[in-house]
Amino acid sequence: MIKSIFFWVLAILLAPFFSALILKVKAFFGGKKGPPLLINYYTLIKLFQKGSVYSTSTTFVFKLGPMVSLSAAVTALLFLPFAGHPPVFSFKGDLIFILYLLGLGRFFTIAAAMDTASPFEGMGAAREAYFPIICEATLFMILILFYILTGELHLAAYFSGSRPFELWQGAGSPMLFVVIALFIILLAENSRVPVDDPTTHLELTMIHEVMALDHSGPDFGFIELGSFLKLFFYASIVARLIMPFESGDLAINLGLFTASLVVVYMAVGVMESVMARYRMDRVPKFILTSFALAFFATVITLEFIK
Amino acid sequence: MNSFILSIALICCGGLAALAVWRQFIFMKIVAVSAISVGCTIGLIDALTKLLHPGTYTLSLNYLRSFSLSFQIDGLSAFFLVAIYAVSLLAAIYSFHYLNNREKALRSAVSYLFFALLIASMALVVTAANMITFMLSWEIMSLSSFFLVMYDHESAENRRAGYLYFVFSHVGAMFILASFGIFYGHTGSFMFSSGSAIPDSAKLTILILSFVGFGSKAGVFPLHIWLPHAHPAAPSHISAVMSGVMIKTGIYGIVRLYASLGLHTPLFGEIVLVAGMVSGILGVVYALGQHDIKRLLAYHSVENIGIILIGIGIGMIGVSFGNPVMAVLGFCGGLLHVLNHSIFKSLLFMGAGVVIQKTGTRTIDMLGGLLKNMKITGVTFLVGSLAISGLPPFNGFVSEFFIYLGGFRGVALDKTAFVLSIMAIVSLAIIGGLALACFTKVVGVVFQGEPRNPKATAVDEKGPTMLAPMLILAGFCFIIGVFPRLFVHMALKAIPVSGLGYGRIPMEPFLNITTNITLAATLFFVILMAALALRLVFYKGKTIGSSGTWGCGFTQPTARMQYTGTSYAASILEFFRPVAPLQEEHPAIRGRFPEKTHYRSHVDDIAERYMVRVVVSPVMWLFDRLRWIQHGDIHLYIGYILLAIVVLLFFV
Repeated sequence: MIKSIFFWVLAILLAPFFSALILKVKAFFGGKKGPPLLINYYTLIKLFQKGSVYSTSTTFVFKLGPMVSLSAAVTALLFLPFAGHPPVFSFKGDLIFILYLLGLGRFFTIAAAMDTASPFEGMGAAREAYFPIICEATLFMILILFYILTGELHLAAYFSGSRPFELWQGAGSPMLFVVIALFIILLAENSRVPVDDPTTHLELTMIHEVMALDHSGPDFGFIELGSFLKLFFYASIVARLIMPFESGDLAINLGLFTASLVVVYMAVGVMESVMARYRMDRVPKFILTSFALAFFATVITLEFIK
Repeated sequence: MNSFILSIALICCGGLAALAVWRQFIFMKIVAVSAISVGCTIGLIDALTKLLHPGTYTLSLNYLRSFSLSFQIDGLSAFFLVAIYAVSLLAAIYSFHYLNNREKALRSAVSYLFFALLIASMALVVTAANMITFMLSWEIMSLSSFFLVMYDHESAENRRAGYLYFVFSHVGAMFILASFGIFYGHTGSFMFSSGSAIPDSAKLTILILSFVGFGSKAGVFPLHIWLPHAHPAAPSHISAVMSGVMIKTGIYGIVRLYASLGLHTPLFGEIVLVAGMVSGILGVVYALGQHDIKRLLAYHSVENIGIILIGIGIGMIGVSFGNPVMAVLGFCGGLLHVLNHSIFKSLLFMGAGVVIQKTGTRTIDMLGGLLKNMKITGVTFLVGSLAISGLPPFNGFVSEFFIYLGGFRGVALDKTAFVLSIMAIVSLAIIGGLALACFTKVVGVVFQGEPRNPKATAVDEKGPTMLAPMLILAGFCFIIGVFPRLFVHMALKAIPVSGLGYGRIPMEPFLNITTNITLAATLFFVILMAALALRLVFYKGKTIGSSGTWGCGFTQPTARMQYTGTSYAASILEFFRPVAPLQEEHPAIRGRFPEKTHYRSHVDDIAERYMVRVVVSPVMWLFDRLRWIQHGDIHLYIGYILLAIVVLLFFV
């Protein structure tokens, strides 16, 4: 238990570091040196030291928004097996709770954006409300597959210890589909290229960044931290699936886990370097691909089992 | 049964007394509201004790020696009674400041009479032990609610809505009557309890016929057409009662008849499940396309009836496959969602009522920024929105969680049940996402941002009797969301009494599910509190500035430039265009000095479109041909009746 809590704190502390890897990879592709690996910590510290400016249009929802989405992400990490180590909490159906809790965070992010009366933020909010619907359908499809394979409904049953390896054994190659589907979900849920471009210049084409336009100071820092944590959550799931092996030794496990996390984050960086963002009306089709993959994986696996 | 009768009598007296003293407007309201609320409170306490102390309570009266009016309260009835009394009580209190037009004093008094009748008849419907009692109460319920919908009958639109509701409730009643007829034909008894002797094929016919009838009351797609017309027409506290509990009597009818027939073929469960999925998804899609806040909420009733039916359908499939855990999870989730929906939907309708009363408009895109002046309404509406979107830690999540767990049980079954369970889970996920989109639209456009018209600028929220019920309901959304144990216990009590065809299984594991929900919700709160404390620390002694919203370089923004609800929903609706065709009217802008233009859009309900094309037009054509029968001569009509009876005598 103590160890689990330690890993939970570690996950929160490490998340900003991994996100910097993406920047590094992108800089490498651009032939630049890139920011230091600790850039996100510097940004957070800088933001936390500042004051804030609030728009006269906003209400308390605007201030509550970043806190709720951050807390949702922090709570979600409580249920995540870090490096295959059992999580702090776990119960039957905790994954459903987590998905809906992240939904609560999304509700408040959108509400905070709508609070500013800005048409740009409204536009971003509309997209933020739209795309995750398909993501959720995919995630539940994957959940159904995992349930068929294991008969369990909690995160720890899929990603702790040698469980990911058993998933691979049960499903076989269709698991590749699941990995790709989850990676697409990771990109879509965390507003990465090709769904959203975090570094774009035009507010009209943003999703997540435009919704945080009016936030400043510590509030903006909380938003940034929340999005690092959310990305870390999805990335660790994918990482556990691409590196399902487990040894008895904790140090080796941690090493393997970190290595696979680095691979996932670098893959995100590579994606961002070699691809452009899709036109907005193409995005749903892109995310629907993940649903189709998860669906096929389920159907094929069913044949294997029977 | 004494307190049950007392409560019904008090409620009815309240209605009659209102009519007697209508000239003293305030006094009339005090009399009516207090009598109805006291009656509801007595009934509520009685129902709660009966629910928590299982048993069957019966009462039988012989009416005119020809048939007996008998009532029976078991767990299922008591569960529905709790929802009916609780919501009616709060709606009655709410009405005190809501019906504030002195010029309509007589009309308000009449409205109180029918309101009282509606509450009493709903209570009688869910306690009726035989079909005659049931149909009598059902008809009183339909008619009294019809008169309530027609409150503002000056407007042609409202009259049309009332007429539509009238037609639907009576066509529905005919289907129910037909199914009861087959029931009686096989058993020779009007009692619900005698249903198990009927052959299976007839059972299925009875169930399907009654499903159509009850479905038209509950608002199951495609029989929901009356809902989005009737709710905007009715006063808000009536909408709250109608949407919150009255349409649930349809659900009650389905479950009651299913339980009394004991038909264990999976087919009916599958029909219910598919109907639930279709209603759920299409309901929320149409809701997204609405511009009128009450129409939007009405479509959300269709959606939530869909969720309830998904739960009950999963339960029925569980029963037919002999999987008691799945059955209990499904039924428990479905029934709990009945209670939950009655809480948050009446809350939302009451909130919408305050908004409409203070601003005078129902159009979402004309409002904005109300949260600043209407703190209580805004916050409670926000809580209701979170609850209806099924988000933790509010009550909507608890019931959906149970339905999910039931659905996952179904994944282990084979063939049709397997496919349907997968579809049910995925549809629930999609419904949840769409509901979130829809309610961020309502909250974002109506309560946040800047006011879009002058009426929305200077509003207040006076009227404590309107605010108190909303606070109580919002409180319950939260309490059930965090501490669902007692309420799940109530739903579990409602299941086994109706004998749903499985042996007794321990209920303890189901209650323990709620412990997990409480734990997780508490965790979230602890973390949220810690985060808020951290925020306070970071903001200590900092300079907090205030300025306009960043316009991305544009310095002259107006409130009309805000993103509207219509554009917010546009891209999602585009995705669902095949089932939700969008009608747009937008004259092009031409020339150097363009004339003023406008944009109008409307999402067509395909059920409405095809109902007119496939059912209404042929029926109209047929009746047009038969017009010669109608002479308007009363003797001839009596002749028709005699002729019909004589012809029937030959056959019977």
